[in-house]
Amino acid sequence: MSGFRVTDLCAGYGGRRVLDGLSFSMEAGRVMGVLGANGSGKTTLLRSICGILRHGGECTLGDVRLEGLNARRLSQLCSYIPQRSGVTIDISALDVVLMGFNPRLGLLEHPTAAMRQQALAALERAGLGGMAEKNYQHLSEGQKQLCILARTLVTPGRLLLLDEPESALDFRFRYRMLDVIRQWVAQEKRMALVALHDPMLALNDCDELLLLRNGRSIGVLRPGSDPLDRMEKLLREVYGSVSLHRCADRTGREHIIMLNEGADGL
Amino acid sequence: MSIMRRSTASPTARTKALCAAGAAMMLALAAVSLLVGRYPLSLAKLLAGDGMQWRVLTTLRLSRTLVGLAGGFALGIAGFVYQTVFRNPLASPDIIGVSSGASAGAAAGILFMSGAAAVTISAFAGAVAAVVLALALAGLDRSGRSGTIVLAGIAVHSLAQTALMCLKLTADPERELASIEYWIMGSLNGVSAHAIGGSLVLCLVCVAALLLLHRQIILLSAEEGEARTLGVNVGLLRLAVLLIATLTVAGVVSLTGLISFVGLLAPHGARLLTRNNRLGTMLLSGFLGAVILLAADILARSVAATELPVSIFTSLIGAPFLLTLLVRGRKEA
Repeated sequence: MSGFRVTDLCAGYGGRRVLDGLSFSMEAGRVMGVLGANGSGKTTLLRSICGILRHGGECTLGDVRLEGLNARRLSQLCSYIPQRSGVTIDISALDVVLMGFNPRLGLLEHPTAAMRQQALAALERAGLGGMAEKNYQHLSEGQKQLCILARTLVTPGRLLLLDEPESALDFRFRYRMLDVIRQWVAQEKRMALVALHDPMLALNDCDELLLLRNGRSIGVLRPGSDPLDRMEKLLREVYGSVSLHRCADRTGREHIIMLNEGADGL
Repeated sequence: MSIMRRSTASPTARTKALCAAGAAMMLALAAVSLLVGRYPLSLAKLLAGDGMQWRVLTTLRLSRTLVGLAGGFALGIAGFVYQTVFRNPLASPDIIGVSSGASAGAAAGILFMSGAAAVTISAFAGAVAAVVLALALAGLDRSGRSGTIVLAGIAVHSLAQTALMCLKLTADPERELASIEYWIMGSLNGVSAHAIGGSLVLCLVCVAALLLLHRQIILLSAEEGEARTLGVNVGLLRLAVLLIATLTVAGVVSLTGLISFVGLLAPHGARLLTRNNRLGTMLLSGFLGAVILLAADILARSVAATELPVSIFTSLIGAPFLLTLLVRGRKEA
């Protein structure tokens, strides 16, 4: 039982190579954000790890190599939240969450009453209390993502992969989502790898940040301990001329804010 | 109808009530189907022990009603499965070549073999061969997208159509060509008691398997990568489920000829009524399939002096039914 390591990961679509020898590692109990411009390989990275995309290189969780596993075994180790879920039929929010128990159920088994309770609790935690019987298709995009988050909370995986989970959420729910993820990770020394769109959210709510450019890592930031100027230097490679500042809110909690200083953002 | 307005009831209770109503309607129609026809039966005479009445009941009506019941139910369930697995509301057994395979098989049976059972067996073989070919062709593309299966199905469908056309060309226009055309139109007439045993058992087994696999079928409706990360062996499971659903349809169609619309319509009706995709919805889809097919068959043998093809009535009943539900759904939403 230890961390997660990616070694020399290469992947792409058709002839186009998107990830080009990416390596990094993370420790158990951490939330790692993945930052990078559009097309830098964030989604490709997550889809490779969870086995949707064929790739070269190696992903190891603890001492298990993920590449050799079948879908069922893999699903017991890691969970994935796509940018947008592909659930397109009329189905209640509760039934969507119950899908998350599939890795633990036999082919013909059905979720137990205890599992239903767990699913309801997960919906509550994700901020969808009372919505269990609502049709998933009638939820807003943000609520759909929270529902998929609730589904992930009931999966047995140790490694959680999230692809821009905050993109459809409003301000308050962005922080709530990361909060829920952090609690979930802290509970049993799990890990989360989260591709994020919003660098400020990443800087303030992740333990570590992996910076991607052109399918390679250009460095890992630890916002809690790294000096501002080092982080600023690396973030400039991704976002152009930006500057970082610390500022305290009224309760005295410190935040890092990022300001864009280039005229055209480049 | 009162069920539909009670929107305050919990969805599960509502689905249960709808299922009960569907089952009751199906059984009522089955009873009517036993009695109605060229030679009308009456309960009073049957109870009085009229020998002729009993003979008609056991040799003609019973098998016909059973095929209507089981066939309609199976088509409804299979349609539900196809639409869910292909994530496409227009998907039906035809999409992967079942019907055209069965037609070509039946035509070959009519031309080269003799006896009603031979045609049934040949049609069944044609249907299964078409689908196995389609799935095998789809297997050549290792990426495992469901779109590939649809494309392969279309290819096989046109191949089977070509074969059918060639067979028709060689057929004697007076007798054989007419039989082929009549077979394609579909009818529950002439389904004899001794021919249905095997098909009915096959249908029952397949439908039971599909109902048991309901949870997996719903998982297949998610995007492929997503289903995979939920622990589903997407390729294998989809293949198995499609094969079972197809065997069901082949079992029905080889007995009756093509029956249009039931497999497309019953699941839509069930979903529009329940607004979910639980096991109850799948069952209701089966009940509605049986209701439509039984009603169509009753009309087919009682409106005109001669037997009419059952597909005329499945479409005539089905289209307004679907439109009503659609309009209703708009208003409610």
